[in-house]
Amino acid sequence: MLNGRTVSLLLILILVLAACSGGGGGEQSQGDTQKNESNPVTDRGNEVVIGVTAEPQNWDPIDTFLLDWSTVANSVFEGLMERTLDLELKPGLAESYEYLDDKTLEFKLREGIEFHNGEPFNAEAVKFSFDRLLGEEGQKGPQYSNYTSIDSVEVIDDYTVQFKLNTPDPVLLTKLAGYGAVIVPPGYVQEEGDENFNNNPVGTGPFKMTEYKRDQTIVLEKNDKYWQEGLPKLDKVTFKVIPEASTRLAELQTGKIDIMKRVEVAQADSVKDSGFLELMEVGTPTVYALRFDTSKKPVDDVRVRQAINYAIDKQAILDEIMGGYGTLISTFQSELSFGNNPDLEPYPYDPEKAKQLLKEAGVAEGTALDVYIPGDDGNFKEIAQAVAFYLEEAGLKMNINSVDQTTLISDLIPNANAGHMYRMGWGGWTLDFDNTAYLMYHEGEQWNPSFKDEKVEELLAAERNTVDENEREAIFKELTEVLYELAPEVNLYQAVDLYAVNNRVKNFQPPHEDRMRLEEVTVE
Amino acid sequence: MFAYIVRRMLHMLLVVFVISLIIFFSIRLTGDPVSVMFSAGEASKEAIEAVRANLGLDKPLPVQYAIFMKGLLTFDFGESFRSGMPVTTLILERAWATLSLALGGIVVAILIAFPVGILSAVKRGSGVDFFGRIFSLIGISFPNFWLGIMLILVFAVYLQWLPASGFDSFQHLILPSVTLGMILSGILARLVRSSMLEVLNQQYISTAKSKGISEWSVIMKHAFRNALLPTVTFLGLQFGSLLGGTVIVEQVFSWPGIGTLIIDAINQRDYPVIQGGVIFLAIIMVVVNLLVDLSYTFIDPRIKTGKEA
Repeated sequence: MLNGRTVSLLLILILVLAACSGGGGGEQSQGDTQKNESNPVTDRGNEVVIGVTAEPQNWDPIDTFLLDWSTVANSVFEGLMERTLDLELKPGLAESYEYLDDKTLEFKLREGIEFHNGEPFNAEAVKFSFDRLLGEEGQKGPQYSNYTSIDSVEVIDDYTVQFKLNTPDPVLLTKLAGYGAVIVPPGYVQEEGDENFNNNPVGTGPFKMTEYKRDQTIVLEKNDKYWQEGLPKLDKVTFKVIPEASTRLAELQTGKIDIMKRVEVAQADSVKDSGFLELMEVGTPTVYALRFDTSKKPVDDVRVRQAINYAIDKQAILDEIMGGYGTLISTFQSELSFGNNPDLEPYPYDPEKAKQLLKEAGVAEGTALDVYIPGDDGNFKEIAQAVAFYLEEAGLKMNINSVDQTTLISDLIPNANAGHMYRMGWGGWTLDFDNTAYLMYHEGEQWNPSFKDEKVEELLAAERNTVDENEREAIFKELTEVLYELAPEVNLYQAVDLYAVNNRVKNFQPPHEDRMRLEEVTVE
Repeated sequence: MFAYIVRRMLHMLLVVFVISLIIFFSIRLTGDPVSVMFSAGEASKEAIEAVRANLGLDKPLPVQYAIFMKGLLTFDFGESFRSGMPVTTLILERAWATLSLALGGIVVAILIAFPVGILSAVKRGSGVDFFGRIFSLIGISFPNFWLGIMLILVFAVYLQWLPASGFDSFQHLILPSVTLGMILSGILARLVRSSMLEVLNQQYISTAKSKGISEWSVIMKHAFRNALLPTVTFLGLQFGSLLGGTVIVEQVFSWPGIGTLIIDAINQRDYPVIQGGVIFLAIIMVVVNLLVDLSYTFIDPRIKTGKEA
């Protein structure tokens, strides 16, 4: 028996080695190389197929917060405002907008636009969409709370609406560019009901959804009556849901899909090596940090928090573990968002200073810290181990606790049970520091178990009280400096999204925030 | 026989009831679905409370459970928090995908394991037997996500014979079925081999042989039929667990099955879907068990239901 087992273990080993060398491309024969050079997609026509990781299960704009929603639905629905792929904010379905005063926002709407079902887009449709969002139906979903500054929407004439606000809202315009604030067709929603609308969404966008198989495929077809002259250029876009990254890559290599979302760092080289694929990299608003629970000793002491920041070589972590894909950050926001302070440099790697600060704070050598990280993120496990190594150098011990991400977010963090430090990732879809800062540092918020600071509270209130961009910029500059000194977290990096695209696809620009724009895309 | 079935049905109801209790209360210990709904976005504490109230999650637990049980009696599992769709619809949409994958896996396992197991037993100690045993060990040792990805690399990427993912045609069923079947076949082949060996040593086999009946006829008609019993039990039980346990294979091949549905629901803390999915699987498991037990009477007439000691 022992003999049999040894032989079979050897066999397995041989199989593994053979498979690995084939997969890694180390030992490819001439035939394989040639196969890689020629584009397998020859007969798709004027259509693009996109491999995505997941779909939202529900297309109703007021029911979701998911980026997977926006990847697809951004082509189906439009809002009064729009964000270009370069993140410029400009009127969308509205022709123009104007603040009549701090609490009154007036929009002139574009004329002659139709929903996919033929209903006209007008002031009534805008009013209906916001009454629905702010009414009974909307309050059941997570989008409602983004728009509570809107008191009412009033129809002035067929193509003019006014938003009456109950408080100045500096981020309202950016919110009107997507998600819950997109405009829905009143007749269709009322006649067909919400459940049908969930599965068969209708908007004004460049593409209409013609087929939806839950968790499998979503088919969009050209909206022939789209209001922007000459767009969209594709006849059809198909999204295929493929959760597993290696399967997604296999589908791309065999030409079953043209664009792959979420290429993993480890896959980047296989994409680059291929003769017909292009790797595209784009910065995202998503940032990662190890946040402190400032109610716990010894990290209640600002010197300890700063010491930990000095103790970690974040650039080395980024280079070694993330393959250099990412950017260092100085505060808990990306360089893309309004309020980011470019003058602040991330805490430098300075182990001596770290030791000195710990000594000043009276932290004994070998003090242990509990750290909570999500168990499903392989990269972050490595990052946590690297952090543990750096902390050990500084004289601190780190116990890494791997837990289920959902439990971490919904239970441990809000209840201050996530140790001294825990991983937090944050999206910041408004691309304005406002939401991030408010929800992370305002006392009593869901994901802020213990941090509080009077100066921070004061600046947060001031920032929300004006719509003047220059004034807000100055407040954010001060806020970021205060937060930098208080060090409520170890800011690690801003994430990068990697896309792989077949050469036949032209004019595809990867989105910073998952919201794909496909109307300009063409194929060869 | 009739009384036996009735008794088993009552037994089944009890099992489902106990499972409903466990699943209902245990998932409520693991975090709040509403914070999860907001976790990709940005919302205040008040907003989270409001949504929780709207989903009825602010009611006391026993009240929530009563509402859930009331629905269960009419096969209404409620609506998914995430998609707003009735849970029953979501499950039925996927039942076919999961069922065909589990069946595919079992067919592949049988096609591999029966010949391998029978040959190993008959040619005990020979090279065939040795190879068969190694084969089983490899089958058992493979992690199925790895095997799945390797099959994709070989058959989809390099040879381009079969599609790598999706659920559109018979071709799509092949690679995931082989992945599932390979793993199952390892255990199954061992089982067939050992039950065959046991039967082959019995006296009636030698008797049959001595009567001059051809060897293969003895093996297939006498030995194999008797060796089938533990195999059917095993396959029956496996079928139940395959229905829920195909998650990794489903994930690798983007197979829209119930396993994925439940795992996604767990990640989202979509309580109604978790409850409905688990109870659905439990019912299938119990029904399959019943069918396995009933099938004994047909395979082995010596066993009479309802008269066990």
